[in-house]
Amino acid sequence: MRLLTIVLLFFQVVVTAQNTPIKKDTIIVLNEVRLISATKKKIETAMKMAVSVDDFLASSSSISFIKRGAYAWEPLLNNMSTERSVVTIDGMHIFGACTDKMDPVTSYLESNTLSSIDIKSGQEGSLHGATIAGSIDLKRKSTSFGLEKKWNGAYQTGFEFNNKQFFNLGNVSYSREKLVFDASISYRDAGNYQDGNDNEVKHSQYHKFNTSLGLAFKTSALSSVRVEAIFDEAKDVGFPALPMDLWLSRALITSVSYKQLFEKGLIRVIDTKIYFNAIEHYMDDTTRPENLVHMDMPGWSTTYGLLSKANLKKDRFSSEIQLNAYNNLSIAEMRMYPQDRKNRTMFAYSWPSVTTAFTGIAMNNSWEFSEKSQLNFGGSLGLNYNYSKYVEFNWIFHPGASQEKTRILPSLHTSYQLSVANFNFSVGTGYGERAPSISEGYGYYIYNSFDRYDYIGNPDLKNEISYEGNASAGFKNKKLNIQAKVNYFFIENYIIGRILSLGSPMNYQSIGVKGYTQLNHSTLFNFSLNSEFAIMPNLHWKGILTYARAKDDEGKNLPFIRPLSYHTSLHYKYKKIGFQTLLNGDFEQINYSPEYGEDQTPNYMIWNLSADYTFNIKNKKTVFQVGAENILNEYYSTYADWGNIPRMGRNVFTSLKFNF
Amino acid sequence: MKSFQFYVVAILIAVTHSCTLNKTDYEAEISTDVTEYYEFKEVSVSNVAAYKVSIESLNGTFYKGYNEIRVKILDTQTNQFIKKAVVKFLPIKTALNSEKSSCPHEYQLKYKPNEEYYLGYSVFLEESDASIKWKIYIDFTVNNESYTVAPDVVIKAQPNKNLNMTTFKGKDGKEYVIALLGPQKPKIAENKLVAGIYQYDPPLNSPGVFPDPSQFLYSQVKGYTLLLDPRMPEPSMGNHSSINNKNLVQQEDGLYYGIVNYTMTGNWTLNFIMLDQNGKTIKGTQVSNEFTPGIEGAKSDLFINILF
Repeated sequence: MRLLTIVLLFFQVVVTAQNTPIKKDTIIVLNEVRLISATKKKIETAMKMAVSVDDFLASSSSISFIKRGAYAWEPLLNNMSTERSVVTIDGMHIFGACTDKMDPVTSYLESNTLSSIDIKSGQEGSLHGATIAGSIDLKRKSTSFGLEKKWNGAYQTGFEFNNKQFFNLGNVSYSREKLVFDASISYRDAGNYQDGNDNEVKHSQYHKFNTSLGLAFKTSALSSVRVEAIFDEAKDVGFPALPMDLWLSRALITSVSYKQLFEKGLIRVIDTKIYFNAIEHYMDDTTRPENLVHMDMPGWSTTYGLLSKANLKKDRFSSEIQLNAYNNLSIAEMRMYPQDRKNRTMFAYSWPSVTTAFTGIAMNNSWEFSEKSQLNFGGSLGLNYNYSKYVEFNWIFHPGASQEKTRILPSLHTSYQLSVANFNFSVGTGYGERAPSISEGYGYYIYNSFDRYDYIGNPDLKNEISYEGNASAGFKNKKLNIQAKVNYFFIENYIIGRILSLGSPMNYQSIGVKGYTQLNHSTLFNFSLNSEFAIMPNLHWKGILTYARAKDDEGKNLPFIRPLSYHTSLHYKYKKIGFQTLLNGDFEQINYSPEYGEDQTPNYMIWNLSADYTFNIKNKKTVFQVGAENILNEYYSTYADWGNIPRMGRNVFTSLKFNF
Repeated sequence: MKSFQFYVVAILIAVTHSCTLNKTDYEAEISTDVTEYYEFKEVSVSNVAAYKVSIESLNGTFYKGYNEIRVKILDTQTNQFIKKAVVKFLPIKTALNSEKSSCPHEYQLKYKPNEEYYLGYSVFLEESDASIKWKIYIDFTVNNESYTVAPDVVIKAQPNKNLNMTTFKGKDGKEYVIALLGPQKPKIAENKLVAGIYQYDPPLNSPGVFPDPSQFLYSQVKGYTLLLDPRMPEPSMGNHSSINNKNLVQQEDGLYYGIVNYTMTGNWTLNFIMLDQNGKTIKGTQVSNEFTPGIEGAKSDLFINILF
């Protein structure tokens, strides 16, 4: 039935297309064409120009973070962890190689390689693959052909006093009629930070190097080939909330794409890409003298894939169709060393060489009835295949579990948008399914230091099914912009770890064994209120309020749900000088979940202040910024900080940016 | 453009084939230190009259612990194997003080018509050395005529710890032997655990002419249960255990079968409690279920260490 609906949707598009007369359209400059797209955001927040990818994501009201230290935060979209969202780089699927999720995709990028981050909530994000929470697509910089100014670039350097972070970010682009070249390089070096009580948080240092290269050339007036590569290396990264640190993680992300534009006809753009990425991730526990046991935990993740996207437009109807196919191999090992090193080491796989192959077709359509109203609808159909090479590890807890598993993952969504005068409204609904992640399906004694349990996957978990509803209402005039959004997810077969009365832990710090099981259902509600107000032409106020609530099938709280939180900032510009001040914080966490290892987190409030000065050096625009985060040196940790690790205390930062 | 494609392909190949650390070769990992024996070879040959008596065992060696024994008797005149003879098998250990003893064994071997050999077993309790000598006495009767051979044999240490054994005195005062028969090569999985349980039957009458089999009696114990609790006693493993293990119970062939579930490679201890037919504990103590990182796991007073 679901399949039929999707086929019908397709048919409808084709029929509509044939009945309408062809309209001419000219596209002269080969540029990014996005017919259904969210607004681009500049990769800097109001407060700080030199943000990390994590900092930038944090400025979105639908993103929160699980933090295990100062580095590689795990983004939660709609208060759901990365298993439930699709995180891609230009649509490319990448999977972290760490079983403890210490290397989310976002950790393999640097802000100067990115142009924008496209966040879609719920099933609207199904274009890139099966999802529940939505999608986060990190868009790389890609310079247009034939720019008047051939060379462009920026160099930014800065120092942050709290953790003695020194960073250098540089990027350059070159544009000619038939050739474009983008390159970036960056290095960040940070020591341990100090918390609000001026105590050093040990093992919070990091060192990160990132470089990227993109080369595009026109193969004809309306087509181009683009070759891109990103290399990222992080070394000696501390995770204060964990009993071990990162010795080395490395990612190579490559792609070749071919883009064809069409001057007329239904199809406007076809963009096809093949990609390959390889990640290696090696933990190190030798820096922690308290560890009586030495253990190696290497992980590898290799993905290759194909992505093909077509944009269609006909009068008031536009459509985006995307084919996704990828194959991932994830391997993670545990090797424990006995006290007496002469004895034999003990070995097991935490990911027993698991292959995931996915093929899916997805489409998003938008139909503008009039200037005022628009209907968006779409769907996807995916085929997900898993294979566990060393299935004997899965059989320890689930005797006879399937070594191979094929799942069909359908998704449907629709929404209606209406603008009346200064008001805008939208309502939408969606349905989608996802396959369990590698850890949920095939994980073996994966130690989770948040609740201190070893987690065991179950290959025969059912698909997680989400039914969602969302609505928004807004008002916008020259001075004021208010936008309120709500969404509600009813998730069937919700996957979560439950204590197994059987079995005993394997990892040294562990207190028990949890198996991934499924709740009959869970519910999740998110609310956000965004407002902007121009008090004076050069004085702007911005405020965000978010609230979320999630319950399991017995009405108990789910973990990692952000309490009522706020964010209010003022921005003042006077000639070449800008001032920003920001207050943000969470209220007391009332609805915490002791069953899932949470304790109550008190409220906190952080005050930030910064000023910048723009001037020219030989006609090159230069910006100098100085500021302070957590001015009051508040000692705090958030609801999602593992082990209640305190966050950074007062941090004075400086930054200088040259544009040329 | 071709050169770009070339570069991309070159990078792909370089990356797919190089990692900073090598992945573990799993097949090699689980086969290290575990010698698997699957071929029967001749251990000893003796000649008596026109008969050639050969004893075969796995790998052509007798090891401390359980050994399957195959005896072939060849009539060198007709070059035919002797069928359906009565063949008796008695291993005798001589200690430095000339004290003689035996070990669990099958006294009357069973003829296997298809394979033309006589089948039995012997659980050697000690390795041969300067002070300990082993001899095997084989009596057989062909055409109402009895023959005896008594070759010296050498018992070697069992390098495969999965075939370890233990001897102990039960609470009932009897001498017992538990010997593992398998799995020879365990997997990280549910493994079929096979053991033989034997008791020493002290002689009821005074000795006759040596070797008098009535002085060297062992028998398989019947209807006992071996409760199993496998654990990793290594301090770093904190008394780690596994689930879905099954206690060993006797099956028709007289051996005891159960399931042991190994969750990872390394040192494991099989902790046992041996119950008799009435469920009375003969030997063994309950071990702690606690996860005790940093502390060596306490063992039952009846256990066998294994390693894979």
